[in-house]
Amino acid sequence: MFTGGKSFVSSPPAFSNDAKRLLVCTGNTVSVFSTSTGLQTNELEGHEAQVTSVIVVPASKVLNYCWTASLDGKIKYWDFAAPELMKTIDIRFPIHSMVIPSLLNQTTESNGKLPDLFSYVYSEVVKQKEEHSNSFRGQIQKCNLTKSRLVGGVKLAETQSPGSITISPYGKYIGVREKRKLRIWEIPEKDSEHVCYKKIRLHHTRSITALAFHPTERVIAAGDVTGRILIWRGVGLQTFSNSKLVNGPNKDEEDRPGVRDEDDADSCTTWHWHSAQVNVLFFSSDGAYLYSGGREGVLVCWQLDSGKKKFLPRIGSPLLYFISSPDPTLSSISCADNRIQLLRTTSMEFLRSISGIKLPSSHLATYEGFGSDVVVNPTDGVIAVPAEDYRVQFYSLFDDREIQEVQICQRNHHPGDEITVKVNLVALSRDGSTMSTVETRLPEEGIGSLVTLKFWARGSQSKQFNLSTVIYEPHREAGISSIAVRPTGHMAVSSSYGGDFKVWVNRHGTPPKDETHQNAGWTCHAVGSYKKKPMTSAAFSSDGSVLAVAAEKVITLWDPDRNTLLAVIGDSVEPITTLSFVGKSDYLVSASRGSKPQLTIWSMSKLCATWSYRLDAEAISCSMYNSTFAVLVLSEQMVVGEATLHPHEGTIVLFNAENAVPLSTWLVSKVALPSNLHLVHIYVVFVCNIYSFSRISGLAAISVSISVSIYFPRIIT
Amino acid sequence: MAESFPVRPKLRPTSSKTTPTPESKYWRSFKIPKDIDTTPSKSYVYPINAIAFSPVEPHDFAATHSANVTIFSGKTLERKSTIASFANTAASASFRCDGKLLAAGDLTGTIHVFDAKSRSHLRRLKGHAAAARVVSYPRVADKFHLFSGGDDSVVKYWDVTTEKCVFDLLGHKDYVRCGDASPVSDEMFVSGSYDHRVKLWDVRVSSEGSVMELNHEKPVESVIYLPSGGLIATAGGNYVKIWDVIGGGKLLYSMESHNKTVTSLCMGKVGKGSGEEADQNRILSVSLDGYMKVFDYAKFKITHTMRFPEPLLSVGFSPNCSTRVIGTSKGTLYIGRRKVKVESDNLVVDGGGWGVVDDEPRKKVLRPSYFRYFQRGQNLKPSEGDYLIKRPKKLKLAVFDKLLKKFRHKEALVAALNQKNPESVVAVMEELIARQKLLRCVSNLDMEELGLLLAFLQKYSTVPRYAGILTKLVNKIVELRADDIRSSDQLRSHVRNLKRDVAEEIRIQESLLEIQGIISPMLRIAAKR
Repeated sequence: MFTGGKSFVSSPPAFSNDAKRLLVCTGNTVSVFSTSTGLQTNELEGHEAQVTSVIVVPASKVLNYCWTASLDGKIKYWDFAAPELMKTIDIRFPIHSMVIPSLLNQTTESNGKLPDLFSYVYSEVVKQKEEHSNSFRGQIQKCNLTKSRLVGGVKLAETQSPGSITISPYGKYIGVREKRKLRIWEIPEKDSEHVCYKKIRLHHTRSITALAFHPTERVIAAGDVTGRILIWRGVGLQTFSNSKLVNGPNKDEEDRPGVRDEDDADSCTTWHWHSAQVNVLFFSSDGAYLYSGGREGVLVCWQLDSGKKKFLPRIGSPLLYFISSPDPTLSSISCADNRIQLLRTTSMEFLRSISGIKLPSSHLATYEGFGSDVVVNPTDGVIAVPAEDYRVQFYSLFDDREIQEVQICQRNHHPGDEITVKVNLVALSRDGSTMSTVETRLPEEGIGSLVTLKFWARGSQSKQFNLSTVIYEPHREAGISSIAVRPTGHMAVSSSYGGDFKVWVNRHGTPPKDETHQNAGWTCHAVGSYKKKPMTSAAFSSDGSVLAVAAEKVITLWDPDRNTLLAVIGDSVEPITTLSFVGKSDYLVSASRGSKPQLTIWSMSKLCATWSYRLDAEAISCSMYNSTFAVLVLSEQMVVGEATLHPHEGTIVLFNAENAVPLSTWLVSKVALPSNLHLVHIYVVFVCNIYSFSRISGLAAISVSISVSIYFPRIIT
Repeated sequence: MAESFPVRPKLRPTSSKTTPTPESKYWRSFKIPKDIDTTPSKSYVYPINAIAFSPVEPHDFAATHSANVTIFSGKTLERKSTIASFANTAASASFRCDGKLLAAGDLTGTIHVFDAKSRSHLRRLKGHAAAARVVSYPRVADKFHLFSGGDDSVVKYWDVTTEKCVFDLLGHKDYVRCGDASPVSDEMFVSGSYDHRVKLWDVRVSSEGSVMELNHEKPVESVIYLPSGGLIATAGGNYVKIWDVIGGGKLLYSMESHNKTVTSLCMGKVGKGSGEEADQNRILSVSLDGYMKVFDYAKFKITHTMRFPEPLLSVGFSPNCSTRVIGTSKGTLYIGRRKVKVESDNLVVDGGGWGVVDDEPRKKVLRPSYFRYFQRGQNLKPSEGDYLIKRPKKLKLAVFDKLLKKFRHKEALVAALNQKNPESVVAVMEELIARQKLLRCVSNLDMEELGLLLAFLQKYSTVPRYAGILTKLVNKIVELRADDIRSSDQLRSHVRNLKRDVAEEIRIQESLLEIQGIISPMLRIAAKR
């Protein structure tokens, strides 16, 4: 079984007590990483839905216990060194966040017995009937972990949607943010099932996005969507200091959002440096500094008394969480590009990073040819993912870790800005020694669009890609629809919407032995066009003898060495978007999308269509060796057997090119992120390879989970 | 983690010129020495017909021009002496194997033998009925004979001491214009003629005519033996051909890279210390097209090409690889000398009989009171085993880079404009486009800055490298700032100039298109052939 591309940043991670391990919520599992090597050591498997909280029990360094909570409504207790499941509590509500204050200020009762352990869970209410018109979907409940049950009747708050609970460093307060206000509860020192809570609210005029408690004083910091940081000092002087108890969760009637006058705080100061939403707020352990971070990817360190700032710039991606470890010199920053950076706090430098497959940002520009594909080198299971920060990430699927990153474009990346420059095409040669990339710069009101084609060569010893050739505007101003590298090497083709394709050759057939050789480079070898039609896709056959270029609705076949047109086949209704040769067989598969989508298999020996389906193929992946290929279909109307597919559900259909009857079918369901199509690409590529593996080992079922989108494939035919 | 990237202009295509190979560096190192009085080094009015190097040190060389033979010193390259006792134009010259005698033929057909040092006229060999264009001493040890060829199509073998012709070698049907003696045998030589034939002669079997005949297929202008004696190279027409004479006169290679008649050949040598002998030998060929080419006959590859401004007639290369001489039809003599590292042979002979040894200069102990104390160790070179800690390179940021980092876009654009480097201005503009801020910047410029920008655009918007982006920008600016431009005289004049330049450029482009229209049918026809 292969799993890959898990999201490491869906929830805050947690350090073990000796700071040598980092527990990261990765989908349904919790992965344990070593902080000294950055490699995965263990995995806690057992939850059936996404794990949302992981809490390490603070104890001496040898004890490795943790609590986890998940959307499947279960709280589990683990020994993560073994790893071994100790206990499961089912509360039947999806848990979005959990805190256990009594772990932080453990007191033994007079009779020496440990008190009951209580946790506070922020869970989602799954209502059967529409009871209220204003449906409160989130609620904060209390759970007795020792007796494995929810504490009845205690409902601290009901909110519109579940979020996360923030806990103060010594477990004295817990707080949640709810749109434009903060709700804070004081946890009594001796927690029991029947206890009254003192609570206050703090109001702000903007939606609050981050919250932090000062470790020693009654100081609370909150960040909002506009980038302001508010510091309340002397919070709850009246409420928390006197002993009068205010009870009952539902006293919301007089609540007026946006009015700060009656807040129970001494003073409120505002700091404004961030230009966008604040995601991270964290007080240093001595309380002298406040760390903040947000969309800009800059960690700001504020001196709390003076408000002086220090910066850690260019982290490269919006910050999501900042977690400090028991070791005061080590902390971790989770970034939105699926990367956890381990930071040496004293010198503010990054030690190493734990990285998953970089997901594309949700706000993809809708520009023709601006999408980006993932390419796979099937021999070593390495995928190349063009990322937002002008880099291509190489990720090994077999080892499930990042191998390297290549900076494609020498440009500073400002996370959060509108994307105007993007690496949108990547092609790898079969042996992985050559990479070609296309980056596109969008024009500003028609001025200055630029397409750049780059060729990279991998150094023999260093394994690093070195830039070999840069070609500006290879097809004048037209965008490039696809690039392909000949499997036998030293030749590449780029096809453009402008109506021509160019064949590029490496000027020196063999890569130079000494890497300082200056004359090695790629030059245009031939330019071809077919009736000035836009060239929409290009592919080389597996032996490199035939070049297929889709000229809108027909497929043209060329001899790449002699630059002659061999044949023209096909006539589809819609423009062809994908071309691919099926392994070493003489079949070519083409797919066109649009109102009348089509998937067609062409026989190269007969130069005619063998069979065809009306399928809207989202992605196609061909096996390298045999004549099988897989197609991902995402369609609302398609009916497979008796089951009708829901939206965001799809099927992966595996075909043998010689036969129109599918070999097998997997249903995939896509849980989240509707725009996240490229994960599906990864998946298709994956399946093709897995399929060949499973045939060898005789595995019946294949289960693959990928990152945020989790697929549950099952074989139905 | 991520380093910061300054704004960089687009890369320019590197020139297609290949980096010089070690060999072309070697051939280029033959330079006209500074101490020669005129440049180009020696100029005579008449064509330099032949150049001959003396086979012994210091390799003096003789050049024939007009009715003179001038001998140059091989050491200083200065003119040593001129022999002017010819009745007609001197056409050929050859040193004897010991370098003491010099034979020269003239257009009357007489061959003169001189003492190379004293210039005294020793012998006159009369016999040729027409111009004696070839004269050559045997190259190994024979000091008493020489052979010559003339326009009477006869090759003669002479006994120099008695001024007698030993025998005539008949066979050529046209002018004999070239010849060479074998480097391994005194009895073998080769002659080339305008009847396209190259004949090999052996004086031991003189009665049977030529030993071998090769057909060059063009009038033969030059023929030389290659150092092994088994190969010969012939030049004629635009070709240089290599023949294997031991293997029965097989044609090995035909080099066809000259554009005009190849006039002369000589042997050259790449003075590399190591490597096999054949790896170092090269054929130098000169031609009327003004090119000298160096041909590696081991690899059958041209390894270096050099251009001269005049048609070349003759070439010579000194046996010690230090001097290369080329003579042209206009009488210029290009003498090139390679700088050889002067080995420290001028050992100082000290009169150390006194036995007084100076005190070694005592090393002063550096104290912080010396200035040098603070500079100590700065010139220290790391030794091999040292682990070198590199100081991180400080990134140099230009003014506009710093402003861009602070998101002060307009100031960055103005700063770039003030630096007057078009590449960086365009780079800043491209960066602003990537941030989608260029037009906002342009609309925020005040009048003075707008004038600066318009002046820049006037200068560079028609430059092909920047035209794509700048012409579109000009249109936008005129659109956006029409009112401001109208209100200022200065800006109006900028726009007027700009308009004029653009119109001019359009005219140029149109005429270029016309020319392209004229040429393209021709190219198409040429491609069909």
